[in-house]
Amino acid sequence: MNLNANENANQESGKTMTTSVQPSSLSSVASANPQRTESQRAQGTGLETRGIHAWFGKNHVLSDINLDFTAGSVTALIGPSGCGKSTFIRTINRMHEFIPGAAMAGEVLLDGKDVYAPGVDVTKIRLQIGMVFQKPNPFPSMTIGENVLSGLKLAQLKVDNKDDLLEECLIRAGLWTEVKDRLDTHGGALSGGQQQRLCIARALAVRPQVLLMDEPCSALDPGSTLRIEDTIRELSDTMTIVIVTHNMQQAARVSDYTAFFLSEGGPGHMIEVARTSEIFSQPKDQRTENYVTGRFG
Amino acid sequence: MALIRSVFQDELDGVSQSLVDLTQMVSASISKATTAILSADLKLAEEVIATDDHIDTFQHELDARIIDIIARQQPVASDLRALVTALRMSADLERMGDMSHHVAKIARLRHPGGAVPAELHPMFQAMGTAAEKIATKTGVVIATRDTVMSLEVERDDDEMDKLHRQLIGTLVDPSWKHGVESAIDLTLLGRYYERFADHAVSVSRRVYFLVTGTFA
Repeated sequence: MNLNANENANQESGKTMTTSVQPSSLSSVASANPQRTESQRAQGTGLETRGIHAWFGKNHVLSDINLDFTAGSVTALIGPSGCGKSTFIRTINRMHEFIPGAAMAGEVLLDGKDVYAPGVDVTKIRLQIGMVFQKPNPFPSMTIGENVLSGLKLAQLKVDNKDDLLEECLIRAGLWTEVKDRLDTHGGALSGGQQQRLCIARALAVRPQVLLMDEPCSALDPGSTLRIEDTIRELSDTMTIVIVTHNMQQAARVSDYTAFFLSEGGPGHMIEVARTSEIFSQPKDQRTENYVTGRFG
Repeated sequence: MALIRSVFQDELDGVSQSLVDLTQMVSASISKATTAILSADLKLAEEVIATDDHIDTFQHELDARIIDIIARQQPVASDLRALVTALRMSADLERMGDMSHHVAKIARLRHPGGAVPAELHPMFQAMGTAAEKIATKTGVVIATRDTVMSLEVERDDDEMDKLHRQLIGTLVDPSWKHGVESAIDLTLLGRYYERFADHAVSVSRRVYFLVTGTFA
């Protein structure tokens, strides 16, 4: 979120996707600290949306969303059901267009390049912008290991050491210690919370710059939820995370920035975006205050 | 069955009302304590001392209720400010009750004599009246959340500070003829009234904060 004009000053630009995936140092995972300052954040390329509109048929569901996501930050999208949060994140990795009758307008800039530009390979966009869904969806007949590495296989990416990558992704997703002795069991045999972390590990294996999460904890018990929240905090050291959540406390706990969406009878639009501490202590807009204090929605 | 959020709103209103009740209790107790000290009324002094236990119990129950609301409702934004502020205001109001209690204890200690020499009665009557008024006004500030009035309380306290300075001036004057023991009593009494008003100012400032989110 570009609330501070200097925040993005040192970002590298023009980083393109590599076709070879290398395990990175695990030390950054171990040193993850939720109390980071802006200068300690991962500096990378940012994600921006410019004038995003979305339609289902003639129904205008989302209007003029302009958001800058600072690299290495967690942004929570909150708002009542039907306000366009999920539709918005689905425009970011070009999933919205696969719904029959769906249309969109505007730009989604990753590294300054529009993901909707002519000639852009949608599959490659999804490697850079991963997604975790509300319901855990591992491939049930694949083993845990196969699940994690499935993205590489589908995208025909080469990796030097699959075992190292597998371990790294499962560690970063907070699942390694629970499954390291049974990587050959099927993904469907895990609990709901473990399956969700497996899906996160799977998303990480292709080294996305951005991870979109659509209510990733809404089907999970409180313990699994906390583990996934820990995972989100740790991952945000190295990537940009956008999370849709209906759980206010979750938004307050895990995110650096919070954006409030509302439809008010028309297309969903953004009412307010600010640092999360501000949204939950002193929101500027009365509608935001009414929503976060539970007075409507 | 009432909706969850309207129950929450009722609980918040209840907290605010309890704070107003506390201001009325401490306003009444400082008024009675003033009468007790000026008329050497032992019975009234005992009543003020007993009332302080009641105020303490009331505050403990209020704090327990606030903690319960925070735990169950997980309030944010202005609701969170209102509840955290209420916890601190209840502590200030409880201390105001203690000040009345201290005044009453000096009345009891000096009974059947009077702790305040006759020539200082008007000054203590003025301090008592100022204290009672400032407590009552603080109650109105809590009930109405009137930020302009919350700042007025600060100015009302200037009157108390002026009386306090006058008292100290009298006590340190070479013409003081009532001895050290009396001077100590009166120094403490003056301090109790002055602190009473300071706590009221503190409560009023907190109302300003809970409404605006900024400190005055």
